[in-house]
Amino acid sequence: MKTCNSSLRASKLLLILFVLPALLNFIVFRYLPIFWALRTSFYNYSLLGGYRGFIGLENYSSLLKDTAFLQSMRVTLQYFIIYVPSVVFLALILGNFVSMTKPGVNFLRAIIFIPVVTSFVVVSIVWGMLLNRDVGMVNAILNNLGFSRVPFLMNARTALPTVALISVWKNVGYSMIIIVAGLKGVDKSLYESAYIDGASSFRIYWSITLPMISRQIMFITIWATLQAFQSFVPIQTLTGGGPNRSTNVIVYHIYNIGFNFGRMGYAISMSIILLVILLLVSIIQMRMFKRDY
Amino acid sequence: MLIAKKSKRIATNILYVIFFCLITIIFIFPMAYVLGNSFRNTQAIWTNAYPFSLKSFFTIEDFTMNGYLYSLGMTDTARYQGVNITRNLAISLYSSLAVVGISMLVSTAAAYFFARLPFPKKNILLVLVVATMMIPQQVVTVPLYFVADFLGLINTFWALVVPWYSSPFVVFLLIQFISDIPYELDEAAIVDGANRFQILWRVILPNCIPGLLTVGLMEFQFIWNEYFWPLIAINRTRLQPIQVAIAAQFTDRAQNWGAVFATMVLASLPVILLFLFAQKYFYDSVASTGIKG
Repeated sequence: MKTCNSSLRASKLLLILFVLPALLNFIVFRYLPIFWALRTSFYNYSLLGGYRGFIGLENYSSLLKDTAFLQSMRVTLQYFIIYVPSVVFLALILGNFVSMTKPGVNFLRAIIFIPVVTSFVVVSIVWGMLLNRDVGMVNAILNNLGFSRVPFLMNARTALPTVALISVWKNVGYSMIIIVAGLKGVDKSLYESAYIDGASSFRIYWSITLPMISRQIMFITIWATLQAFQSFVPIQTLTGGGPNRSTNVIVYHIYNIGFNFGRMGYAISMSIILLVILLLVSIIQMRMFKRDY
Repeated sequence: MLIAKKSKRIATNILYVIFFCLITIIFIFPMAYVLGNSFRNTQAIWTNAYPFSLKSFFTIEDFTMNGYLYSLGMTDTARYQGVNITRNLAISLYSSLAVVGISMLVSTAAAYFFARLPFPKKNILLVLVVATMMIPQQVVTVPLYFVADFLGLINTFWALVVPWYSSPFVVFLLIQFISDIPYELDEAAIVDGANRFQILWRVILPNCIPGLLTVGLMEFQFIWNEYFWPLIAINRTRLQPIQVAIAAQFTDRAQNWGAVFATMVLASLPVILLFLFAQKYFYDSVASTGIKG
């Protein structure tokens, strides 16, 4: 070993060349934007006019009094409350369903996963058409069945749940595959002994299967949480934050204030708040996963 | 006893078939709707939209390729109106391929560094990479605009490539793949007098082809489907990738619905086909991110 190593003892500087291009990318395009944002959030910065003077924490203090920002955070929270339980619950059901040894489960897995690899723009537009009040197919079906038409995306009460469920339809396949992978790892012999002991199948599922895939459940919960706080595409393409601001989620609000109203410093300070929230979520995730090792 | 067991089995099978059909309808229905209506003109789409029947999806007598020809700029009206998405498709394809190509080299080299090379305090650098994964992408997209602007990337093709030429997820996954390659192979190459670069090129790369395929497909899909970043970074129509072009077509030229559907098919089909032919690799990429957290 030693002689081999001496034959290719390159200088340490040469070794770092392997990792340098990737590190450069992470530093410039992942970390630098955060530091730029942190600095800009202390300035009055407009998209067209550039920096217009240091204002310290003023952006942050006005955020606390900004009803539009607080309303947007509330909408995001509502979205989170609809989205996360739906994804986790449906991923569990579908994951268990396609893990059965029955004909056609591979087909089901594939069709549930296709929306995951389809772009969110296409998914949003398609559902926007299907759910259209006047010509949409869903309303045509409701009508055929004798129900009255529902203006899914044009009503302030139904728009947010509709957008959240479109996102569930698009993303559930991802979480489902994680559950499938988790179920594959469950030790089958545990089932047999429980079965011999006369446990019911519900009881077996509750006390054996669920604890065995708790890591996967935790992961998809956090993954869905991170997604819920960053939802943008269906809002931008379908509702534009409306009707009556009912779908004005935070990332869309930031985009709107920054690029359409040009108040970039202010928008950036909202990004920083959101970043802090999501980093906390990620740190909780790290902590929870550490415990298992 | 036997009869009870048999009738229970029949009941489960019936239940299975019902759920099977339900899931199939929910997931296939929107796709069939898009595919069928992409072969119609606007009038045929709306006259068959209501009341709901199989005709709402497709009718043979309305069959036309006009939506596709129009989108691809091959009819006189399209040429007159300046509609042509071929360019947008090409931009999506080139940027996705460029990112995958560069990332394969850069990220594999970085992963090789972390998995194999001796370097003092290597773990500190690894923490930098792992921490990058915690940065929520959508939140940093707005500040990223200003970094890219400073580097002169905004409104150029390179804005779609340069920020993404390496990814912490890819580096992290490739570290796992490379760690699985037996170290004896490296040693054999060292005995033959190979240097680090030659080992990476001749030993590591050929031995982690399944890993490269997994991450390559993941990245291709990510760049092809990306919407928020190009929406901000590119505002010249000629340079827009296909996803941004669809959203624009959906709002601008809403009169030609057949073309909107055809564009959506063209924008999703490449990745869906990739998925159908390489399902295992897509599932692997999901499962490995999920289990490793």
